[in-house]
Amino acid sequence: MKNIEIVKPSDAYKWAKNFKRIQDKFYDGKYKLRRLQQIEDFVKLNGFSSVYHIEETFLDLDIPKVNDIANSDLILVTHQGYSRYPLVDIIKQIKNWLTTSKHLYFCLNRHYINIDNARLNYDVPDDLQQAITFWLNTELNDCVVVDMSRNYIDLGKNFTWSCPDRHYYIRRVNEVN
Amino acid sequence: MKLIEHFDDYKMTPSNSQKHDYLRYRMGRLKHNYWLKSRKSSDTVYIDEYDKFIIDNLNPGKTCYFGSAGYYVEDIVQDLTVIEMHKIVKTFYPRAVIVQNRTEIGYLFPNTFDNFVVVNNRADMWSTLYPNADGIPSITEHFNYYIKSMRPGCNFFYSFRDTQIPNWNRIKVNHYDYFYNFAKDCKDIGLNLQWHSIQFHNGSCSMVENPDTTNGNIKFLFKLEC
Repeated sequence: MKNIEIVKPSDAYKWAKNFKRIQDKFYDGKYKLRRLQQIEDFVKLNGFSSVYHIEETFLDLDIPKVNDIANSDLILVTHQGYSRYPLVDIIKQIKNWLTTSKHLYFCLNRHYINIDNARLNYDVPDDLQQAITFWLNTELNDCVVVDMSRNYIDLGKNFTWSCPDRHYYIRRVNEVN
Repeated sequence: MKLIEHFDDYKMTPSNSQKHDYLRYRMGRLKHNYWLKSRKSSDTVYIDEYDKFIIDNLNPGKTCYFGSAGYYVEDIVQDLTVIEMHKIVKTFYPRAVIVQNRTEIGYLFPNTFDNFVVVNNRADMWSTLYPNADGIPSITEHFNYYIKSMRPGCNFFYSFRDTQIPNWNRIKVNHYDYFYNFAKDCKDIGLNLQWHSIQFHNGSCSMVENPDTTNGNIKFLFKLEC
């Protein structure tokens, strides 16, 4: 018998940044995730020209980016780490972003939502997807929240870990320009 | 350029290389790293605290690791059978038993094992806890296949991540109750809960997921009824 040495568990996020690029190699490069096209179309069709993109997994989006959040006309968040914030902190973060930019495109990974098992003091719909939208609308009552997600049962085959599945356009009320 | 929504919307490049298969396998099996590290040492096996817990609580007799890269404990667990669902494992661990589906486990090893271990098995992810009407596989159904290879009194170690269980309302449902009640309900299929560990994010404002993404933050030890 060999000796045993106890080590700390590995880091699950070792592959995170390059996950999509690695996943792409399993295909022949002739496809594109609809969700990514949706983001690009949203930026283009709404005339955004200075997008500050907060990302974790590299998505290689074809959008006009800026490096300074203060100079952006849209903040785009695809970083899944924010989905792992407690509910209350996600709302604080959204409000914080909206003090910098008037427009926010926020992607959430449904499977991380309410990571710390917090309880809300109001009821939400039984369906998780609807519940997430209801929660955002309730907590951000001074904002316009547009749910641009498709609803489906996710069984791990929807590339959610490449690009989060729940997509929301959020802006403060009366701020459209 | 075709727009796709789902893994099956476009055909994956046919696997024509071991490198391709190995990369796909390895990306989802963090415990494989332990094996890579241990095999470089002539006298040391590297495991984590949860592995040690399992090893300390094994019954004497035969042990099966299913879908868990279990070859990393080969040098410290006697009478070990490693069952996997990916052929690529056979290329670097020839002793592995490869099955295409879980029904084969009980067929190949009926009433055999004194310990059955499943650690954060990627193939078990995206299963609901209970059987359902939506045609989604369930962990309960998986358990029923595993039980067929267990001897009475078998210790069954099972761990997974709450974030990869589909079709439940994470905002509405109390997470702890949801998983603990499931474990208690397993008594109906002959599995008595002996020990459990259900841990969640500590509520701090951080991007960290639930504790122990390697082994799973939800861990159960069952004993099969005698």
